[in-house]
Amino acid sequence: MSLIRPTASTSTFRALGLGLGGRGLHTSRALAIRASGVRRDATVAADETGGFKYIPGGPILKGTVNDAVSDLPASRSHGSYHWAFERVLSAALVPVTVGAAVSTGSAYPILDGILAVSLIVHSHIGFDSCRVDYLHPRKFPVIGPIASWILKIATGLSVWGVYEFNTNDVGLTELVRRLWTA
Amino acid sequence: MFKPSTTSSALRAIPSSSRTIASSSLLIRSFHATSSASLATPSENKPAQTKEFKIYRWNPDTPSEKPKLQSYKVDLSQCGPMMLDALIKIKNELDPTLTFRRSCREGICGSCAMNIDGVNTLACLCRIDKDVKKPSKVYPLPHMYIVKDLVPDLTLFYKQYKSIEPFLKNDNPPAQGEFLQTQEDRKKLDGMYECILCACCSTSCPSYWWNQDQYLGPAVLMQAYRWMADSRDSYGAERKEKMQNTMSLYRCHTIFNCSRTCPKGLNPALAIAKMKLEMATE
Repeated sequence: MSLIRPTASTSTFRALGLGLGGRGLHTSRALAIRASGVRRDATVAADETGGFKYIPGGPILKGTVNDAVSDLPASRSHGSYHWAFERVLSAALVPVTVGAAVSTGSAYPILDGILAVSLIVHSHIGFDSCRVDYLHPRKFPVIGPIASWILKIATGLSVWGVYEFNTNDVGLTELVRRLWTA
Repeated sequence: MFKPSTTSSALRAIPSSSRTIASSSLLIRSFHATSSASLATPSENKPAQTKEFKIYRWNPDTPSEKPKLQSYKVDLSQCGPMMLDALIKIKNELDPTLTFRRSCREGICGSCAMNIDGVNTLACLCRIDKDVKKPSKVYPLPHMYIVKDLVPDLTLFYKQYKSIEPFLKNDNPPAQGEFLQTQEDRKKLDGMYECILCACCSTSCPSYWWNQDQYLGPAVLMQAYRWMADSRDSYGAERKEKMQNTMSLYRCHTIFNCSRTCPKGLNPALAIAKMKLEMATE
């Protein structure tokens, strides 16, 4: 997200002042909006990382009230491809789970592996969606990235753990079978 | 009340030739058509039904004072049936400082959107619950900055609406006349064009609460799809391109609060689902 260019804030200033017959506006909201323009030679302060000055208790507005919100950079891998992959994976999990349920892990180790990996990828995407909702880095500059890394590391460890379990131990399907009838 | 003088004067007005038949029917009719009964007067005999309204108050002139719920008691027998009638009555008679938006009083302008007893709806369309034992709670639209009392700051909402370019964009207008559209294509817009932008749906969406600055919200998304689905518009691909990111559209998790709360009975969740499907299958 780009910072507001100084020219934008000066033209905003002029629009607010001269566009109304030179009287200008004296409401606190207009002052707040004027103040939300970034100063030319300021370094980015903590409350300006969003590209505008965040004023506690006030609305988060970038630019003037008449500017549209700016578009976010387009990327299909974050957009429709991600969404479609998520749904396709969820749908594919149904026959794979059913297949694993009616067979034994030792008979079809490949199916066991596919089930394990798709479950982990499915869970990763689900947890990541949660993280983006609640702990987005733009709002949580410290614990946002930490949560993201915790999730990635947990997914990696799960993949490795499941691989070890399926290779050197009974495998996921067999584990569930034993727990089910225990 | 039946007044004998009015009856006799009505009888006198009839021409003598038709008096025998007409007089009897007029006599019957006149019992119900006396001058005082034809006026609408407030009834003095209704028992008082006092209902308590707890209304959210906050004054920006004293910003350090925390918002609070203020109680008002209104006699429902002397008040119109809708919440807006009660609010106006309170403002007229009890507390002129109570501040809220209102305009059409018929559910078409979208000004009086507020949270009444936990539901986002229009005050002019929300009937007062006649159970006088329970107080009615009136809050502004949830998770919005408040200008005063029940007035939310909808600036961001309007900026988001502007960002989807809610107007027809077509580089090849017909040489003569208007854009032609079949009835089937026009039907696709039904259920979307009626949106009055009251913001009830967007402010009922938890995703909009947590990510208001980047997630557009169901109202704006439904209007974005309204223009994508319009056969006269040729910029569908560009409109869809605007949504190709993690936040603008895809923070919707089909929570469905939006369709549930829409005071006009519209279905933003369906429009969003159609948009997601079109974007995934194009």
